[in-house]
Amino acid sequence: MKITVCIGSSCHIKGSKSVVEQLQKLIADNNLGSKVELAGAFCMGKCQKGVCVTVDDIFYSVTPETVEGFFENDVLTKIQ
Amino acid sequence: MNDLCADIGWKSINHIGEQLCGDHVEIVEQSDTSTVIVLADGLGSGVKASILSTLTSKIISTMMAAGLPIEECVSTIAATLPVCSVRGVAYSTFTIIHIIDNENAEIIQYDNPHVIVLRDNVNYDYPKTEMNIDGKKIYKTLLRLKENDIFIAMSDGCPHAGIGLSYNFGWKREDIIAFMETMSMTGLTAKNLSTVLIEECDKLYGNEPGDDATACVVKIRKREPMSLLFGPPSNRDDANRMMSLFFSKEGKHIVCGGTTSSIAADFLGKPLIPSLDFKNSDLPPTATIEGVELVTEGVITINRVLEYAKDYIGENNLYEKWNFSSDGASLICQMLFEEATDINFFVGRAINPAHQNPELPINFSIKMNLVEELSECLKKMGKRIKISYF
Repeated sequence: MKITVCIGSSCHIKGSKSVVEQLQKLIADNNLGSKVELAGAFCMGKCQKGVCVTVDDIFYSVTPETVEGFFENDVLTKIQ
Repeated sequence: MNDLCADIGWKSINHIGEQLCGDHVEIVEQSDTSTVIVLADGLGSGVKASILSTLTSKIISTMMAAGLPIEECVSTIAATLPVCSVRGVAYSTFTIIHIIDNENAEIIQYDNPHVIVLRDNVNYDYPKTEMNIDGKKIYKTLLRLKENDIFIAMSDGCPHAGIGLSYNFGWKREDIIAFMETMSMTGLTAKNLSTVLIEECDKLYGNEPGDDATACVVKIRKREPMSLLFGPPSNRDDANRMMSLFFSKEGKHIVCGGTTSSIAADFLGKPLIPSLDFKNSDLPPTATIEGVELVTEGVITINRVLEYAKDYIGENNLYEKWNFSSDGASLICQMLFEEATDINFFVGRAINPAHQNPELPINFSIKMNLVEELSECLKKMGKRIKISYF
């Protein structure tokens, strides 16, 4: 599975750094380092909906506050 | 003509309790390749010293740049300077470094500590001719410039640093030379070399300088072109033209902006690989494209570069931040401030609809101002700037 987080200007201002760091920690805590690849992208062209995140090309709008819920609902469930 | 140029930087600290510096550095560009640099130290400290040194350096630099002989400059100063009511003399010492056609340097010195010349990072004991002008002993030297020559002009506040505090007799010339020989090996710019020297003086004074201290450094280096791409073109059909002009430029290439870097990657037919390493910085991470030296995010990064640039041409308190970090803005600063001498900006005027959101601290006019302001700062650093808009 590949999670891509936008780190462009707009998403950066909306907190993509925090989203990336939380995801890095969640992936490490759940020992998913070998199953989940975390990557960055510069702009996904949907700046209004930032922070832009895709999971295997499916688009999600995530904020630093909703990362945990997103990880449980849209990442963990798909792995098992 | 050769491909050498002079990187010039200086820094002063004031006598404790004084708001004005009694030392003054004046730099006048005589032509594209010739520059007159004058460091003057006025008698005493505070307002009087400041007036004496400002007058002296302004008069000498203007007259020298106009091609007048040194004898006339000296007699003009002697006739012009106001006489100090306490001491009954009009007095300001001076050092002139005249870079001629980027091929020769003429050094003229009156009563300041003698200029230190480092050639290939080692002290170079240059010959001096003594002249007597109106009873003043003036030393003159003519040197043929070599790449990596470093000239260090100082006011006496530097060798006096630490008298009776850290050292009995101040910071000895041999020790200053040894210190600067070591520092010069690290490849610091003229501004940063003068800053480390003055910071060391300040430390020796226990942060309470007993005199104004100034260092002015001239570093002879090769010209280094560089190009920076910022923003997509307003008309997307111009992208190919913009990219081919940008990538055909000699020297290193920096690409700033998310959409911009995608366009550049497409043009080169190489993947754009963003990194997720924030390098302990609050700035967005950098990315890589094969064939491009540096790829960063746009406005937020450039905004930080501008902040560092404004500090660099002024107090220079933040250089340690960008000199030793590897976030996008610090890397751009290292490349633009330290390496480059001729910078070509390729600026795209496309409006990013996402940036027009009033909640965001970035918008189109800010973006255009960033480039204008940054290029002004870079010009003050002595860089040659060209901006092309698309």
